[in-house]
Amino acid sequence: MAASISADRILRELADLWAATGQEHDEDGSGVLRACSMTLIVLAEEGDDMEALGETIAALMPEYPARTILVRLGGTGAPALAERVYSQCWMPFGQRRQICCERIEITASAASLADLPSLLPPLAAPDLPVLLWWRSARLLGTPEYRKLAAIADKAIVDSSGLEDQKAALPMLVQMAQGEAILGDLSWTLLTRWREMLSGVFESRECQARLPDISNVAVGFAGVRPPVFAWYMGAWVANALSDAGVHAYLTWQPRRELTGRALRVDLTGGDFHVSLERHDDRLSVEAGCLSHFTNLPQPTDYLLMSEELGIVRRDPVFERTLATAARLAAASIT
Amino acid sequence: MPLENPFQDPLRFERRMPECAIVIFGASGDLTKRKLIPALYRLAFDRRLAAGFAVIGVSRTPLGDDGFRDKMREAVRSFSEDTKFDEDVWNAFARGLFYVAGDAGDPALFVRLGQKLAEIEKERQTGGNVLFYLSLQPSQYAAAALGLGGAGLGKGNGWRRLVVEKPFGRDLASARELSGQIHQVFDESDVYRIDHYLGKETVQNILAMRFGNGIFEPLWNRRYVNHVQITAAESIGVEGRGAYYQEAGALADMIQNHLLQVMATIAMEPTASFRAASVRDERSKLLRSIRPMTPDEIRVNAVPGQYGPARVGGEDLPGFRQEPGVKRQSPTDTYAAATFFVENWRWAGVPFYMRTGKRLPKRVTEIAVQFNPAPLTLFHGGAEGTPNLLILRIQPEEGISLKFLSKRPGAAFELRPVSMDFNYGSSFGERSPSAYETLLLDAIIGDATLYTRQDMVEASWAVVEPIQNVWRETAFDFPNYAAGTWGPAASEQMLARRGHAWRAP
Repeated sequence: MAASISADRILRELADLWAATGQEHDEDGSGVLRACSMTLIVLAEEGDDMEALGETIAALMPEYPARTILVRLGGTGAPALAERVYSQCWMPFGQRRQICCERIEITASAASLADLPSLLPPLAAPDLPVLLWWRSARLLGTPEYRKLAAIADKAIVDSSGLEDQKAALPMLVQMAQGEAILGDLSWTLLTRWREMLSGVFESRECQARLPDISNVAVGFAGVRPPVFAWYMGAWVANALSDAGVHAYLTWQPRRELTGRALRVDLTGGDFHVSLERHDDRLSVEAGCLSHFTNLPQPTDYLLMSEELGIVRRDPVFERTLATAARLAAASIT
Repeated sequence: MPLENPFQDPLRFERRMPECAIVIFGASGDLTKRKLIPALYRLAFDRRLAAGFAVIGVSRTPLGDDGFRDKMREAVRSFSEDTKFDEDVWNAFARGLFYVAGDAGDPALFVRLGQKLAEIEKERQTGGNVLFYLSLQPSQYAAAALGLGGAGLGKGNGWRRLVVEKPFGRDLASARELSGQIHQVFDESDVYRIDHYLGKETVQNILAMRFGNGIFEPLWNRRYVNHVQITAAESIGVEGRGAYYQEAGALADMIQNHLLQVMATIAMEPTASFRAASVRDERSKLLRSIRPMTPDEIRVNAVPGQYGPARVGGEDLPGFRQEPGVKRQSPTDTYAAATFFVENWRWAGVPFYMRTGKRLPKRVTEIAVQFNPAPLTLFHGGAEGTPNLLILRIQPEEGISLKFLSKRPGAAFELRPVSMDFNYGSSFGERSPSAYETLLLDAIIGDATLYTRQDMVEASWAVVEPIQNVWRETAFDFPNYAAGTWGPAASEQMLARRGHAWRAP
């Protein structure tokens, strides 16, 4: 690997790539369409499953066509950088013309991490938002993170990879105060759960029972609550508090749960609402009504697909994060 | 009691769905099986329905709740093309399906329906909200609405809304009469006249394109637009609906509703807000600005057609008069083309050409906005003079194309037309909801933006009725186009008189 790479050279290679792709498709008369709605910078660790990551990025492209800059961190020792450019094309169903996006892959040694904040901005597609998908738990919250996040409009992290989930919350609060909007996939995975719980209280009858709620229990797998369980509890507490209801909140380890599954119970008197995952479905029990709905397992693709669609501040998340950090700090769990 | 749901998160959640019951009249019909129930199942699958939700099918066929559930299960399995059938989701959805047998003309039906609704409101917590959907023969609309009123079902604990399928009347007088009957029970604000074209993503995208961007609107007027062509072509024939179709015809079946609504969307003035009333006001104003034609104008600006037999792609296709259920001398138009003019400052003098037909060479719906050519011819060599075109494709490949001239690479200064495409399906790979999913959700939420209002229906009939009258009094030499062609020669001549030609989509 070389010690340095030039943004100009990468951009020239990109231009050559498009010329070649255009010629190739001109020969069969089908043409090629270049699509770009954002720059997506993906920072991946050496140990990341690159094949799976490549598939996730490819799956995201039809929905969010982007100039993707995949940064692979690897190797210690001297500063070293390498790059290659290529395109990713797909044929929309029933059509003759391919749609193509461009991908730049940069391999950087740990010592070259400091060079990235100056290298990446000129590579971003002009006039379009820049989103950073930060997959390294190890470097989360470090100065390197802060410098790279500063060049993005939004930084998407996954706090579930952090060792100490309780300690992650104050760090996330600090990260949310940076220039870039913060997104956390631990929050994203709760959207469908939250939506179903909210749906219960679209019913006037259930809404009338809100003041009865005295206990909220968030069940999780494992010994200590993961960040998403803190989020869920904090979000419910905030919503109830907005309705003038102050319920007793507990986080409970539950043996029957595995992975990122949850169980949420809101109870009070004879009123009971519960949400629980059963394989690929979410069951909701609310009083006499029960409801089953499709809930696919949260994959990187599904979570990122939601986060890439939101390039503005998320006030509900920011408030939840602040509450979760406060509750965690006050908790002995 | 709190007035708002404190759990709402509008940034991330789909639109809020209130609890409600949907009563479908005509529950044994094709529309229920093919479109309505699959659309509702898809909404359930996507977590879009409230927990307090129920569907009550109403039809003459004797059937119980379980029988109805079984039939609808088969319908969902057969017609939910892009949705996985999930046993648990279906079972939860099916628990909210009920059935009442009876005739829309029988007052006893509405008494039974009222009892069923009361039970369901309690059992399923539907909050007293009811959406009545008339998927009946048009002749039964008034009876159903008045029957609901007679049983006191037009009012209740929650809201009551009525969705009416097209056609809304056979002419201006019958449309007004029907509205009058419906208004005896439902306020106009609670009547949702469905036009599934307006529910299509790409028709809605016309509004986004026009009013969400700054670059198109300055060109959107008589100074820059030469003419507009709206085409809705079908390659199929009447497909077993001959008996119905020969009573309607292309003009009433397509132009009176779908295509005039599309034209209104293309040509309306910018709205002050995106509220239903503002958008519908502007659409209505535009429709009222279309100049009704005199009989003499109609003879040169409107062309009917009827397809005759032909051999296409190795297959012998029957003519319209040879289709089952069609009279041998039927004068029905299976093709209609017309030139409309909008009398306002923006569009005065700009022809809006419209054509629709069955058994045309391909299935395509599109709007082509042709701009005036450049004022000076600077370049020579063939392509100059080719007009700029903005094509808004509604189906099958939804998207927008802009055609313009570019220099051919090389030493010579030659121009060639190139196309800049935005493909809706591939640029955003998300599954587009079906028109019925969108429209059902809108009706449940109470958003009437994509529904037509009485004044819009009347304005459309005011444009179409004079054409109907002239055509009714004229003996045309049908068939006048062969199946698999782009319609009668008179249609080409209609454009040629103004120096224009239909584009081949």
